[in-house]
Amino acid sequence: MAGRRAALKAIDWMAFAERVPLDQRIMFNALKTTSDAISSRLTSLPEKPPAIDWAYYKKTIALSGLVDEFEKKFSALKIPVPVDSETAKIDAQEKAVEKDAIAYVEASKARVVEYEKELTRFRNMIPFELMSYDDLNEAFPETKLDKEKYPYWPHKPIADL
Amino acid sequence: MLSRLVLRAAPAALRNLSPSLSAGTVHAARSFHGSQPCTAPYPPIPEKAGAVRFGVIPEEFFQFLYPKTGVTGPYMLGTGLILYLLSKEIYVINHETITAVATLSLLIYGVKRYGSRVAAFAEKLNEEKLATVATVKNDSIKALETAIEEEKREQWRVEGRSYIFDAKRNNIAMLLEINYRERLLMVYNEVKKRLDYQIAMQHLKRRKEQDHMISWVESKVVQSITPQQHKESIAKCILDLKALSKAAQATV
Repeated sequence: MAGRRAALKAIDWMAFAERVPLDQRIMFNALKTTSDAISSRLTSLPEKPPAIDWAYYKKTIALSGLVDEFEKKFSALKIPVPVDSETAKIDAQEKAVEKDAIAYVEASKARVVEYEKELTRFRNMIPFELMSYDDLNEAFPETKLDKEKYPYWPHKPIADL
Repeated sequence: MLSRLVLRAAPAALRNLSPSLSAGTVHAARSFHGSQPCTAPYPPIPEKAGAVRFGVIPEEFFQFLYPKTGVTGPYMLGTGLILYLLSKEIYVINHETITAVATLSLLIYGVKRYGSRVAAFAEKLNEEKLATVATVKNDSIKALETAIEEEKREQWRVEGRSYIFDAKRNNIAMLLEINYRERLLMVYNEVKKRLDYQIAMQHLKRRKEQDHMISWVESKVVQSITPQQHKESIAKCILDLKALSKAAQATV
């Protein structure tokens, strides 16, 4: 009787809640309420139904053979355990997500490396007081004035001044 | 075509020019900006200009003359020079001199009085430019740092992806368990209902039989009472009552 179902894994809902981003909070709450409802239903149901007092029934019911027949059929009855068809799907989902997650983490790490590079570039810049305009154009290429397109001062459209 | 000939002939002609004529011309053999430019970072521009006396004569000149002539040397030199120029009329005093004196005194007065304020104003303009660029730089740095933080946070979030699947699997297991237990309970309830029904039927039948028998017996008894017996029993009852009432009166 006890081995027919896999043991339930204890879930730390607090830690789970911490990792949920804000935009998915609603879905998380829905999942939590569903899980809580199911677990409360589970605890409300007894594990085994109470045993039927066959002796009392045998004594009281005059119709002979009825109780014996019931008892025999009852003990011979095997209730089928419900078949688990969904766990495989969940496992498949998990594997698919795993792949995506790893790809995302890799991309994230690459982004972090880029950001770090930019950060070191900014941190190692010479202070602005000691920069010349050439240095400024090197550090921030967007400040370079296009002398070919606008050959006359101020080398940019008047509207941009 | 002739121009091309001239152009090709020019370098050769230049090389054959005599030294006196070639001084002002450009030698094509020499090339400017030929080597790599020096890419070393320049030293920063100094804050203060070199020290000067009288606004135009650098300090180095005084230091240069100090070993030979002491402190007063350059001043003597200057005074002597000015007197020489005036006395020999190498510098002639005319109306231009008055103009120069007036202009120079005004200029020097203006610079000395308002120089620092103008400098401060220009400094402020420069400061504003620097401040805007500095804010851009600081904002970029902050943005990058927050971006790195966010990325790390998202990576941490991704680590918790197993939770949701564990929860789903748990739910499934619990639902299956619930289903199984409900089935057990249903079977039990059904069997119990049927057995209880049998017992209830028995009891009901029993009671009905009893009630029926009692009522039948009663009706039979009432029927069997003849009018004679009826009168006798009533007389007996009255006698009994009288005796009882006497006994009751006696006790009271």
